[in-house]
Amino acid sequence: MAEKIKLYDTSKCTGCRACQLACKQWNALPAGQTYNTGTYQNPPDLQSNTWMLIRFQEMSNGNGDVKWLFRKDACMHCTDAACIKVCPSGALFRTKYGSVALDRDKCIGCKECISACPFDVPRYDPVTDKIAKCDLCFSRIDRGMEPACVKACPTGALSFGDKDEMIARAHARVKELGGDANVYGDQFVGGTHMLYVLTEKPDVYDELPERPRVPLTVIAWKDWFKPLTLLAAGGVLAGSFIHYLTHGPKDTSGDDQAGGEGGE
Amino acid sequence: MIPKKGMIKSTDAFERLVHWWLAITCIILILTGLGMMFHSFNFLGTPLGGLKNLKLVHNFTGLLFAPALFFAILIWWREAGVFKMPEDLEWIKVAGGYLWHVDDVPETGKYNPGQKAFFLAVAIFGILMVVSGLIMWFPLSLPNGLVQWMYPLHALGMLAIFPFVLVHIYLGTIGVPGSARAIFTGYVTRSWAEKQCPGWLKEMEAEGKLEIYGEEKEEAAHG
Repeated sequence: MAEKIKLYDTSKCTGCRACQLACKQWNALPAGQTYNTGTYQNPPDLQSNTWMLIRFQEMSNGNGDVKWLFRKDACMHCTDAACIKVCPSGALFRTKYGSVALDRDKCIGCKECISACPFDVPRYDPVTDKIAKCDLCFSRIDRGMEPACVKACPTGALSFGDKDEMIARAHARVKELGGDANVYGDQFVGGTHMLYVLTEKPDVYDELPERPRVPLTVIAWKDWFKPLTLLAAGGVLAGSFIHYLTHGPKDTSGDDQAGGEGGE
Repeated sequence: MIPKKGMIKSTDAFERLVHWWLAITCIILILTGLGMMFHSFNFLGTPLGGLKNLKLVHNFTGLLFAPALFFAILIWWREAGVFKMPEDLEWIKVAGGYLWHVDDVPETGKYNPGQKAFFLAVAIFGILMVVSGLIMWFPLSLPNGLVQWMYPLHALGMLAIFPFVLVHIYLGTIGVPGSARAIFTGYVTRSWAEKQCPGWLKEMEAEGKLEIYGEEKEEAAHG
């Protein structure tokens, strides 16, 4: 099965949030009480029942003009997914489409993925003691449908398709846009399965890491210390056995009447 | 394993209690830890009703491990936590005679440098395990920049302690026969003590502090 990519073109996004609502609807996620924080961005951040949201950002270009930037924030579905690497139960897993899905039954609520994610995506739900995040609508794409957010998008800002095709489309669009436009996602963490076409440089956007990577702490933990532990424990077990056979146990018996091993 | 007349007392009841308290919690922590560390060991959670319960057992056992570690450090750091130079260095140079034949192994006190290294590893990394483990239990209440480091540190502690524990078990049982009784009954044979802790034996005898099974504690009175 070919890997799939969801492409998000910020230049076509109008911030209508049809995708945000469609996500809630398909995944049966209840909405909480909202309140005005002085921005259309609502809720203020991702939540255990808000797996994607449109970030609203006002950008001043210095001469009095204000530009509105929208960014669809959700799981990026990394190829080198730090969350899968750290998940102790195998609840987070890679699907055949390249996306990162969650088997909720297996999740033990350890929150290790929250700490590992370079995009700060997984959210913890204290009621169920499990984490939650976008799974690229696995229940839909596995039946040949596009994700709910893509389906709902009225402007063509979202599209979904085969990996190579979407990457090519993203780069073609960036060429068309010119200026600071760039493709965000195919150059790091092994390539993400949500791809952005950004109209501004990545550092302009709120909460968007410029160079996301699997944290060094995760690499030290899972790629160094974990295999070393197995190696050391195995080595010590084998070494002890060989030691016993070749060097032999230490002779601590004596001829004193206090009794050697055999005793009187 | 009942002590025989003439055997020498090497550990008191509190030491033995703390040892087993620490040992049992440590083994439970290692097993439950392995269950979360490797997917292939996830099955260790099955008898407990799943990985979630395994994690709970791990966390609460950690709370029991902490006081055991505290007492262990308190009672053993003088004897096992400080290297004595140059004797210990000489012992290290010949690996205590454990790896190749050595005619005259340098005398050690109650604990040899290998045992001291084990004590220090458990003490230092044990504290690290307790601290990092507690933070990992409540990761959302602290800045992620700090929390992130707790996971590799916890794994480093496992790397340091687990293989060492295996060596400790080997040498405490079949590797050095007669050792296990020191931590079960508290009494060892004189020949064992002469080979394992000659320096300590001489010192205790010189000071008349040696307690011998089946004999009155008259030596103690001389002191």
